[in-house]
Amino acid sequence: MSKEETPQVTRRTTRLSATHTPNAIQSPTKSINLPPLSLHNLVYGEQQEPLTFDDLISSLPGRKNQIFDLLRLLGPVNSPMSPMFVYGSASTGKTSTILRVFRYLNRPFVYSSCRTCYNARQLFDNILNQLLLHRKSENNGYSSAKKCEKPADFVNLLKEALVGVVDGLKRSSSSKKLNGCVNGSMVYLIFDSLELVRDWDKSGTILPLLFKLHDVLKVNDVGLIFISSSSLDTYHSETGFVDPISVYFPDYTEEGLRQIFMRNQANPKLRSAFLDVVLKPFCRVTRRLDELSTALSPLFKKYCEPLDDLNVIPDEETKRKLFSCLQPHIGPALNEILGVTSQSSVEAGIKNNLKRKGGLKKFGNDSIDDIDFHMSTSAKYLLVSAFLASRNPATLDASFFDSTGGSANQKKRRKTSEKSKDLKEASEQELFMKGPGTFPLERLLAIFQCIASSDEYSLENDEDPQETTGLGGDFGENNLMSDILLQVSSLCNANFITKGGSCPLEGSTRYRSTISEDLALKVARSLKFPLSKYLYRR
Amino acid sequence: MKIQRTVEEAIVLLRKRLCDPDFIFSLFSDSPDSNYSKLKFIVSSSVTEACNNSILLLGPRGCGKNAVLDLVLEDLLKEYPDMISVIKLNGLLHCDDNCALKEIARQLCIEHELMFSKMASSDDNSQFMIAMLRECGLAHKTVVFVLDEFDLFAQGKQRLLYSLLDAMQSVSSQAVVIGISCRLDADQLLEKRVRSRFSHRKLLFLPPQKDDLQRLLKHILLLPTDSTLPHDYVTDFNSRISNIIADKKFNEIIDKLTDADCTVSNFVRFLFSAVCCIDSKSGYMTLENFKSALSTVQRQPKLDCLKDCSILELYIMVCIRRLEFKEQESYNFNSVMKEYKTIYDSVQNVDNYSRNVCLRAFEHLLDRQLIEFADRGHNQCIEFRSVKLLISPAELHQGLKSNRSCPAILQKLMNQEAKFVANG
Repeated sequence: MSKEETPQVTRRTTRLSATHTPNAIQSPTKSINLPPLSLHNLVYGEQQEPLTFDDLISSLPGRKNQIFDLLRLLGPVNSPMSPMFVYGSASTGKTSTILRVFRYLNRPFVYSSCRTCYNARQLFDNILNQLLLHRKSENNGYSSAKKCEKPADFVNLLKEALVGVVDGLKRSSSSKKLNGCVNGSMVYLIFDSLELVRDWDKSGTILPLLFKLHDVLKVNDVGLIFISSSSLDTYHSETGFVDPISVYFPDYTEEGLRQIFMRNQANPKLRSAFLDVVLKPFCRVTRRLDELSTALSPLFKKYCEPLDDLNVIPDEETKRKLFSCLQPHIGPALNEILGVTSQSSVEAGIKNNLKRKGGLKKFGNDSIDDIDFHMSTSAKYLLVSAFLASRNPATLDASFFDSTGGSANQKKRRKTSEKSKDLKEASEQELFMKGPGTFPLERLLAIFQCIASSDEYSLENDEDPQETTGLGGDFGENNLMSDILLQVSSLCNANFITKGGSCPLEGSTRYRSTISEDLALKVARSLKFPLSKYLYRR
Repeated sequence: MKIQRTVEEAIVLLRKRLCDPDFIFSLFSDSPDSNYSKLKFIVSSSVTEACNNSILLLGPRGCGKNAVLDLVLEDLLKEYPDMISVIKLNGLLHCDDNCALKEIARQLCIEHELMFSKMASSDDNSQFMIAMLRECGLAHKTVVFVLDEFDLFAQGKQRLLYSLLDAMQSVSSQAVVIGISCRLDADQLLEKRVRSRFSHRKLLFLPPQKDDLQRLLKHILLLPTDSTLPHDYVTDFNSRISNIIADKKFNEIIDKLTDADCTVSNFVRFLFSAVCCIDSKSGYMTLENFKSALSTVQRQPKLDCLKDCSILELYIMVCIRRLEFKEQESYNFNSVMKEYKTIYDSVQNVDNYSRNVCLRAFEHLLDRQLIEFADRGHNQCIEFRSVKLLISPAELHQGLKSNRSCPAILQKLMNQEAKFVANG
């Protein structure tokens, strides 16, 4: 179902299988004995049916203008081109369009993504390997074709390799051997995700080099194409460079999105009725295809749920009925677009949806009462104490955690005068701007001991929590204190607590809790710990 | 079918011309006071008189420093075969001294058909270079060192420049060092010991004048009559081009282009896009081609971005703008959310989204680089890091207008503010 659901092949598969196995479904023949690479392999989809122009246009809905632009700039066979810079925000089909266009044109190209080639050396190796038709295998110990570390070596080797490939292409096109397979003797170098290069070290020289590569190489039969998710004006460079010709991929329009979501559908009428309902509100938030497709696929299942027969052609009344069933789910699903990051699979998401049905209005507050990850009790206590340490001012610790316990909460309620209101606003502003405060490790441990021990003895209710802490708490030591420092560091690694900069006066490392109040409340609830009693409210 | 092939041939010809800087700059080579003639005179006199020399070619990017130099060297290699050997270095590739020396040794070896050892140390290479310079001097052979991106060689200790120029001080050597840089103060970057060994000859490359651009236009776009293309087509094509050039509207387009950037490379890029727009059915250039080329060359990426923003993203942009207008010196996601809430409370029928959704939209804006983090706090959550707007209010205003799906209320919120500014 999910295969049908996602209208395009997902991003990852497009990119990974792009150059060699373009269509993951049709080519299971990535077999054991790989044949040696030949010039054919520089073409995309070498074993497949040629793509007609109409196929090209229809396979990429909403990208017609961009395809025309690209085709115009690439020009007729064997015509030189000046460097091209393709940009547009994420998931606007830049990579897939370009690869499709090359598949249609049947021209040889070398694709390398700066995401998989994460530094300059990897990038150089990758390009050279592809050009020299070299495949890493067991026989050559998975080594690269040429050892190439410095940009200077790269340019020399690249020039050599390009001349070799172009000569090979010219020879074979004159002998008609590859006729119909490889078109022309131009080689195109495609650099994907160029925006990542800005964060590489030495990006100050690599980027201008890449932009100037055409002039530096002085090989006429090479075309350079850069794909980037951010526009040219964000590429700052000290030395500057001559701008390449840019092609802009705008975000999909609502109409384009609809066409994409209508692809490969068993029941187009039903789907279109569904899209009528959902697409508009979702487009107000985002028009990014990747986010929309993850958000819409569970919703569509939900939409189809009341139907017995999925092939039914909906009339007005069923549409209305389905809409009324779906409507309560749209709002939460919209809010959950962000929930993609919570690592729960789609199925889990649906289950959650079902659970939340009751408390739709109060979504995000009290309706979810369990945390969806496992954590040891001591880690939970630590998390809660870190949250408290971050939120409460250090001066109030004593009043919260001393023997009188919760009574402090009532004590601090004062009359709200104008001045204190102002103060309150100011401090609120400060909380907004500064975020959670930092605290030293000692304070975290002290609070931890207080709340952990007070909780433990609350059943017996015979001893002062403060005193136990002072005594060293032999119970606590056995049960909870054994590996607290280890727990702290693992919480740090899990990013629940971050290590801040060290305090300039004391010199010790300071910590900061990053969890939200909701999560803290959830954790506290699972411990049956009265967190709100200890929270300082301004 | 035959027509189409002709058109294709013509387009390929034009594209070849546009991608070949030598062809473009050969136009300027005939006049006596051009940089071409000056440079050629300097280099050829040092070749014939067997002396050392050094020149800097300075000028903004895309004014043909490299192309003119290539033309000169090509001519001189024809004129004085076996008397010149050219070593080319690029500051982007060889700004590291060891690397540069290695590259010099490699190119010298290729030039003189010697075996190049990859294992040779930097010291070996340096000695090899000096020995070769002496040998070449004795054989009355000039070595021309071309240092592209010269300013990058002037970083660090400048050991390479020093050893090169120092070797040229001896009587026996015969070498020319040509530095190319887009920094006009490139000679000021040199250390004292290097500068004193450098002859301060400078050639300035400037963007061409308007009539030069006209000549360039004809030089590039008019098809040659003595080619394999059919004669009728060529005359027709050329007469249409002449008509366009005479057109007043066309001149306006050129003015618009050169007002922003009048370098040759920009002009060539513009022509390249125009040539790409040629309709392969009719096969002639039209004024429309130039118009669309202008719009592709002069893009405004930030406005394009704004045009693509979803409505929620626009809301957030307007909130940020309002915060800025209130002269709040720093703001982050939380304060934006507060502003969003006040807008929501004060104005009816504003969409209300949960915090999470807004945060996602906020991240999108960061991705689009319409806003940027103002601080360098790495271990803070996004919500608390302060941000700044990367576009001007006028741009935002224009962007809101051009966005078709932008709700009227947002424009009103922006307008209110504009009015307030006008009154106050």
